[in-house]
Amino acid sequence: MPTRRLFIARALATPLAAPMLARPALADTSIRLRDLYRVRGTGLSDLARASAGQRLSVSGFMAPPLKAESRFFVLTKRPMAVCPFCESEADWPNDILAVYTKRVVDVSPFNVLITVSGVLELGSYRDPDTGFVSMVRLSDASYA
Amino acid sequence: MKRTLISALALAAATSAHAQDAALPQASSPWFTDGQAAVAAMIARQPNTARARNVIVLVADGNGVGTNYITRLFDGQQKGMLGEENVLPYETPEWSSALIKTYNINAQTPDSAPTAGAMNTGVKQRFNLINLGGDAIHDDCATVTGNELTTFAEIVSDMGKSVGAVSTARLTHATPAAVYAKTANRNWEGSVPEGCDSQTDIATQLIDSMEAGIIDFAMGGGGRAFLPEGEANGQSTGRRTDGVNLIDRATGLGVQFANDTASFDALTMDAPVLALFNDSHMEYEADRADDDEPSLAEMTRKAIEFLSQNENGYYLEIEAGRVDHANHDGNAARVVRDGVAFAEAVAMADELTDESDTLIIVTADHEHSIAMNGYCGRGSDIMGLCYDVAQSGDKHSDELVLGSDGKPFTVVGYLNGAGSVLVEQPDGSFAAPEGRADITQEEATDLDYVQQALVPKSSESHSGEDVAVYAKGPWAHLFDSTLEQNVIFHVMNHAITAE
Repeated sequence: MPTRRLFIARALATPLAAPMLARPALADTSIRLRDLYRVRGTGLSDLARASAGQRLSVSGFMAPPLKAESRFFVLTKRPMAVCPFCESEADWPNDILAVYTKRVVDVSPFNVLITVSGVLELGSYRDPDTGFVSMVRLSDASYA
Repeated sequence: MKRTLISALALAAATSAHAQDAALPQASSPWFTDGQAAVAAMIARQPNTARARNVIVLVADGNGVGTNYITRLFDGQQKGMLGEENVLPYETPEWSSALIKTYNINAQTPDSAPTAGAMNTGVKQRFNLINLGGDAIHDDCATVTGNELTTFAEIVSDMGKSVGAVSTARLTHATPAAVYAKTANRNWEGSVPEGCDSQTDIATQLIDSMEAGIIDFAMGGGGRAFLPEGEANGQSTGRRTDGVNLIDRATGLGVQFANDTASFDALTMDAPVLALFNDSHMEYEADRADDDEPSLAEMTRKAIEFLSQNENGYYLEIEAGRVDHANHDGNAARVVRDGVAFAEAVAMADELTDESDTLIIVTADHEHSIAMNGYCGRGSDIMGLCYDVAQSGDKHSDELVLGSDGKPFTVVGYLNGAGSVLVEQPDGSFAAPEGRADITQEEATDLDYVQQALVPKSSESHSGEDVAVYAKGPWAHLFDSTLEQNVIFHVMNHAITAE
C-alpha cells in the first residue's frame, strides 16, 4: 500500500495521460480525494489545510447531480452507492468534496473515475440553489 | 456412563487406525498427521448439556461463507501466512457448526430485519419488518397490533437476566433493533408516519425497553434518531421532528451515557449504559481512530464486564454491522478489515467467558453477491490479482491469470454493484466499449478499490446463499447439518431452560 507521500511523489513524477482536448489543463499537483481528510477519524488532513487557496487536481467520482443544468456537483472517493439497506435517508459520506464548475456540468456516470481541477476552499458554505452545505470545495473547476 | 464407554471405544478405534496408518507412504506428511489430530479433537469433544446461564450471539452482517472466506485469507496474509491455511477464532474444532438457510417468509434474498428477527423470536418474518408475525404488512402501521412477537430479550428478562445490544451500525438499524423493537418498517428509526399509533419509532422503543428494565446495555452509532432536529451531541446532530431528546430521557432514568472514547472509558459498572458514538453508523474499522470510537472488541469487553455482574446471567447480541455496508459498496478492502475486527470481538467474548455456562453463537444474517475467481495459486493476495498456480512449491507463480480478453482480474468480484464493467453511455444504454478495465496490482489492493462486478447497480445486493453458524458452550452441539435461521433461537431457548 503506497503511503500518501509516495503517492503524491509518484503523481508528480507521472505526466498526465490523455489529451484534454477542450478541457482546461489540469494543475500540477494531483491527489486522491481521501488525501484531503485524515487517514483515521474525522477532519481535514494537514495537506488540505496547507493547500487552501491553491489550484489542485483531485481524483474521485461524480455523485449524481442534485439539480439539472447545474454548475455544482459532489465528488466522492468511491462510487456513491445508494444503499437502501444501509441508509433510511439520503446521506452523504463525511469525506466528500463540493465542486463548483466553470461550465454547466456534463454529467459523468457515478462509477467512472474523473479528475477535477479547481481552487481549494475551506470553511462552511451553503449553496443558495440546493441548500447543500459544504466544508471543502473546489471552485472555478473543470474536470476530465 | 454410556457416553464414557462410547468415547473410550472411539478413542481405541482411532488409536487402532493410527497404528494401521503408520505404514502408509503419506503417514509422515503434516497434512496426514494434522488430519488425524483433527479427528482426535472431534472424538474428544463432549456435548455440554448443562443449562446456559449466559447467551452471546455475535453476528457479522453480510458475512456469508464467501465473505468469511476472504476475511480468513486476509487475516492470515496480514499475519505472514499464504492465507488459505489460516484459522479464525471460531473455526477451531471445539466449535460446533452448521449451515443456515436465511430466506424470509416472502423473500428468497433476505434483508437484515427479518433475519435478525428470526434469531430473536424463533419464527421467520417478512421482508423489511422486525419481530412481527407473518400477517403484518410492510409499511402498514395498522397491521402491527396483534402481530407483535415475544423476543428472546423479553423471555430472558422475565428470568431475571440482563440484556445487551452492541453494534457498529446505528443502534436503531435492523440487527440491533431486533433485540428490542417491533416495527412494520425497519426504516422507522426516529419517527413513524403521521397517524401511526400502533407502534412508536425504533429509538423510542429502545429507551422504553431500558425504562422497562429489559435492556441494560446499548452501544453503537445512530445518535441522530435520539435527538431533536438540529440539536448536537458529540458527533451526532438530531433529526427527530417531535422535539424529544431521548438521551436526556435515558439519563433521567439513571442511565449512563457515552459519545466518544473518553466517555466510553469513563463508564462505570453501577448503572445501565447507553452509548451513541456517531450520527449514523460507526466508522469502518479502516477509518476508525482509537481516540474517537472504541473498537468492536473493546465494546464487547465492556458489555460482558457489565452484564456478567448479574448472577442470573445475561443475553448479549453483538453485531459487526459494517461488513455488510462495505459489501454493498463493492469495496472488499473494508469488508475484510471489519471482518477481522469481528473475529477479534469473538476472541474477546470467548476469553472473557466460561464455556461451561455460556453459549456463544457466531453467525451472519445473510450473504452478498460476492464471488471468487480462479484458478489462482496459493497465497495470491486475496485483495489483489489472481496469480497462476506454480508447478513446484506451494506459493503462486509470478504469472497473472488472464481472462479471454487478455486482461488480469482480481480474486474477489461481485455479481452486481457499482463496480460493474458495464458503464452508462451518453444514450442511456450500458456498455463496455473498451472492454474491462486493465487493473494493476497496486490499484486492486488500494483501500478504496471497488471490485469489478457484472450487473450494473448503484448498490451491490445481498444474496440468498447460506451462511454458517459456529457455537461453543451448553447445547452448542445442536448446531449440526443444514438448519433454518429461526432454529438459532430454539437452541438458545433450549440452552437457557434445559433441566
